[in-house]
Amino acid sequence: MNPILEQIYATIIPSAPYVIAAYALMWAALCVFVVFALSRLKRTEAQLAVLESTLASRQDDLTDQIRKQ
Amino acid sequence: MAKDLDKKLAVGQGLDRYASAVGLIGALLSTLGFILAFVLAAPVNGASVDGVEMIGGQMVSNQLLFSQKIFYFHMPAAVTSMVALAFTAWFGIRFLTTRDARYDLRAKLATEIALLFIIMTMFSGEMWERFEWGVWWTWEPRLTTYFILMLLVFAYFILRTAVDEPERRATYASVFGIITFIDVPICFMITRLIPSSVHPVVFRTDSGLSPDMLVPLLLSMFGMFCIAFALYRLRLRTETMAQEVDAIKREIDE
Repeated sequence: MNPILEQIYATIIPSAPYVIAAYALMWAALCVFVVFALSRLKRTEAQLAVLESTLASRQDDLTDQIRKQ
Repeated sequence: MAKDLDKKLAVGQGLDRYASAVGLIGALLSTLGFILAFVLAAPVNGASVDGVEMIGGQMVSNQLLFSQKIFYFHMPAAVTSMVALAFTAWFGIRFLTTRDARYDLRAKLATEIALLFIIMTMFSGEMWERFEWGVWWTWEPRLTTYFILMLLVFAYFILRTAVDEPERRATYASVFGIITFIDVPICFMITRLIPSSVHPVVFRTDSGLSPDMLVPLLLSMFGMFCIAFALYRLRLRTETMAQEVDAIKREIDE
């Protein structure tokens, strides 16, 4: 290769791993946060569904008891 | 008045209806910004070389810096973290004036988002620093002020976990969130206050960025704003639901 071009492009290949690592780390951080946020949302939704059904069945039981009385 | 506030702070409607779409737009914009940063933006010049070569119809007499491509996500992430901290301070002020716990929750979540983008900024900055400056860390003014900002955000969460009583926790956190925000303009202005700083001044009348560089930068930045907003609304929905879970648990216990 032309020595001038060699000098011009001298930092391209050595810097590539750092550029790739920078973008990969940023995307990894973002993905970790998204996974954390979504898993917490799913867990909370599941908890809410269970609790709402428990509350509903309790209220039904209470209504039955009042009717019987 | 109270009804208006309830409507404004409602979760699961209004803004939430658009949150997923905004998140998707954010992903598209930042992906486009990423692609254009490599395809459209010309590499910046580094040290001079011992001659001149014609590349793509232009005379080139400097090294071409590929590492500068990190900038197209690094700076938008930093700006997004600062915007998120502005919201922390705003919600902190709103909590202190209204004593409405919903503002405290919003301040906490805005700080969470700020922390995410601070980590992203730090990761990308480290890679640039290691390659261009040959060190993992240096006490350069912008780095130092941003590092202090990161420590303040860590301290914000430590403070929150250290105080049990909700009202007191919210008050302390609001005040601390406002104090944390004070470092944001300092960090932003430091390159102007100390011109010897190796960080460039990007936001100025003549930013020195050609349109081929400005377009990917702005796309990435607006993309990140959208992503931050979508993530904030997602977390807000979850935390509001978690509060509902606690309320039902209390009702069942009674």
